[in-house]
Amino acid sequence: MNTIDRRQFLERMVALGGTALATAAFISLLGCSKESAPELPSDTTPLTPLPSPPEGAAYLAVARGDTPTTLVERAVEALGGIGRFVKSGNDVIIKPNICVDYRTQEYAATTNPEVVGALVALCIGAGASRVRVMDHPFSGSAEKAYVTSGIAEAVEAAGGEMEVMATMKFQDTPIPNGQSIKSCRVYEDIVETDVLIDVPIAKHHDRTVLSLGMKNLLGVVSNPGDYHKADMAERVTDLNTLARPHLVVVDAIRILTNHGPTGGNLNDVKQMNTVIASHDIVAADSYAATLFGKTALDVPIVHAGATRGLGTMDLSSIKIEEIAA
Amino acid sequence: MVPKKTPRKWRWIRRLVQVSVFAFFLYLLIGNRVGATTFLPSDLFFHLDPLTGFSAMLADKRFIAPMLLGLLTIGLTLVLGRVWCSWICPLGTLLDWTNLRRRYRNALGHLSQWRHVKYLVLFAVLFAALLGTLSLAILDPITVLFRTATSGVLPGLNSLTTWAETRLYRYDSLQGFLDGFDRFVRGHLLPSAEPYFIPSLVLVALFIGILALNALRPRFWCRYVCPLGSLLGLVSRVSLLHRTVDQEKCNSCRRCARECPVNAIDSEKAYASDPAECTLCLKCVENCPTRAIAVRQQTQPAKPELEGLTRRQVLGSFGIMLAGVALLRLAPLLRGTEQRRLRPPGSTEDDVMKKCLRCGVCVNICPTRAIHPSGTGADYDGVWTPMLVPRLGYCDYICNRCGEACPTGAIPKLLLPEKQQTVIGKAEIDENRCIPWSQGINCIVCQEMCPLTEKAIELDDVTVTDGEGLETVVRRPLVMRDRCIGCGLCEHQCPVNGEAAIRVYPDDGEGQQQRRGRSE
Repeated sequence: MNTIDRRQFLERMVALGGTALATAAFISLLGCSKESAPELPSDTTPLTPLPSPPEGAAYLAVARGDTPTTLVERAVEALGGIGRFVKSGNDVIIKPNICVDYRTQEYAATTNPEVVGALVALCIGAGASRVRVMDHPFSGSAEKAYVTSGIAEAVEAAGGEMEVMATMKFQDTPIPNGQSIKSCRVYEDIVETDVLIDVPIAKHHDRTVLSLGMKNLLGVVSNPGDYHKADMAERVTDLNTLARPHLVVVDAIRILTNHGPTGGNLNDVKQMNTVIASHDIVAADSYAATLFGKTALDVPIVHAGATRGLGTMDLSSIKIEEIAA
Repeated sequence: MVPKKTPRKWRWIRRLVQVSVFAFFLYLLIGNRVGATTFLPSDLFFHLDPLTGFSAMLADKRFIAPMLLGLLTIGLTLVLGRVWCSWICPLGTLLDWTNLRRRYRNALGHLSQWRHVKYLVLFAVLFAALLGTLSLAILDPITVLFRTATSGVLPGLNSLTTWAETRLYRYDSLQGFLDGFDRFVRGHLLPSAEPYFIPSLVLVALFIGILALNALRPRFWCRYVCPLGSLLGLVSRVSLLHRTVDQEKCNSCRRCARECPVNAIDSEKAYASDPAECTLCLKCVENCPTRAIAVRQQTQPAKPELEGLTRRQVLGSFGIMLAGVALLRLAPLLRGTEQRRLRPPGSTEDDVMKKCLRCGVCVNICPTRAIHPSGTGADYDGVWTPMLVPRLGYCDYICNRCGEACPTGAIPKLLLPEKQQTVIGKAEIDENRCIPWSQGINCIVCQEMCPLTEKAIELDDVTVTDGEGLETVVRRPLVMRDRCIGCGLCEHQCPVNGEAAIRVYPDDGEGQQQRRGRSE
């Protein structure tokens, strides 16, 4: 057995420590540390305005018919095709609503898997380098919820990948336009990805009246509970100023009309066979509200989003294309 | 087992067996922790362990069928002797690997008078079990290792990994590597959603103590303390094969006595070994320069060599246990100081006390980390028994794994529909902390969380007037006690800081109103 004396031991320890320090210094010299985040901009930073739709494309598309996949394809086509949102080589994240692990799709608590699968296929067809699908369930593990909801199977069949949100990627991020909250612990990739597609299921919600596109984005922070404490509409809107999807596809194949967001009673589920798509999250949510016999004014989050300039809730002012597919 | 080939081979064969068994132990431990289906159940080692099986049956006065696997180990010992200890036992393997005093082996001399301590430990465990308490199962080596790994080592590794990952993730240049690591390495070894655990220093300290004793004497634990080792030692006295020394060949070099890791060889008695101590590691066989040592069939059983262990001591240990158990049992007299100990679904307080091995299998398998080993609290008898801590983790509505994994049935096996109706406790709202009740602001998180088809939390719309005279409608949560099963998801997710404003209490058949002495 090799033996070393105390002096050798200490020498080696010093050498080891020096190497470790040098490595650490080198890494920090790479200069990519997020610790040196810029100063918080003032409250008056204007929101980046939404891009206008290209010539001839609908501002909002509504497709009705029996096959969810076709509905997604036709709705996106009416908006100018998937190429308007996804360019070749883009990294795409799709955020469905997979809130719990104990409800299958029939209960309309989680997004329809065919809708998600169709979107994955479209993105891959447009040349996306990677299409990831993720959510942060509040009951049960993500792995289990992905399977129960049927979304894992649909996504993998379409060539996308399910990502379990890793704890390390929830980073404290300032919200420059925040009013009720100035920062949040948000999943970094959601903010940084090339293309974010928000795919909520349209459903009743006992706290926020309805849970639609804006509310669905609450699944990208690690502490959604805190958003319920006060000013929920303002807080969700604050978050929406940071995480802004490029495309919103509202799944209204089945909608949950009562006892949301988790439901559990098939009598509360209504078959609507509808898909709504727009680049404007407020417009998409406003239209989805009409399926429940409501308007944006009845849904505080959507109303707050419109007031804060995230989009328009005035459905009469935009070009809506209705498609029977 | 008669070594006719080159003796050196035995060292490698034994290491291979030890590494394989240890790796298999880790596979069961980690596989079940991350929710994979392992091809053998996670409690396999507790079934193979005759001490846990025997004491559980003794404490519960009931036959537990899977514990028959322990007879395999007894059978093996009857043929080969105490091979479990140096070939199979994962704690023994770990003690081999952490042996710091390789060079001073046995130079310190043997504490032979301490040797029978382990028999007293064994009798203490069995007497305590006979008296209906399994608290001393905490001394079984398999429970020691499993419990420490699941409640101490793995949570520690997990939080360390998360901490390091989160720090390093801020460097863009490392993100690609961390992404891959998290997805392909960490995801299979440590569950990502495991941020909370009650630190149990005593639990880890016991384990570190056992390892540290290795520095006093190699395998100190196995020689002087281990109750399983002593049980197998008693059996191996009559085992078929024994170590023999060919007196013709022996040149009295003492090398075997020096090399023996458990100091079982007595140079005063012609280098014969005590069959109760010898673990058949075969080190003496491979080190003997004249090849005088072999393991052969024993013609006549060895005489019991319990020198120093008198009938008086055995009876004394029974008396001590009687007094000890009585003292442990004093705790229920302190009723009320620990009002809130929720048990895993379907298990009663009585079940847990009589059947629970404190092994940690349920703690390990619970995917939501709802189950934690209880601290001593007011009740030493229940130390390290499983309890649900909803603030840290809730009982997943579509999971019944703890009951399926429990080696003794302390947590009953329940089908999923049964489990979904099994009452763990009842949620109660703390109106002084609940946001709608105390601040007049809407929240509803608890109601939203309730996984029951017919929710056990209803919202009561109440018009309240705030300090400025404004009237608003507030949706206050109310618990429907008859429906609540106490899964604890509401308590877990309650957004109030610190202690939740809705908490699950054991179901005593009464609501909080009655508890407070109000009649409503």
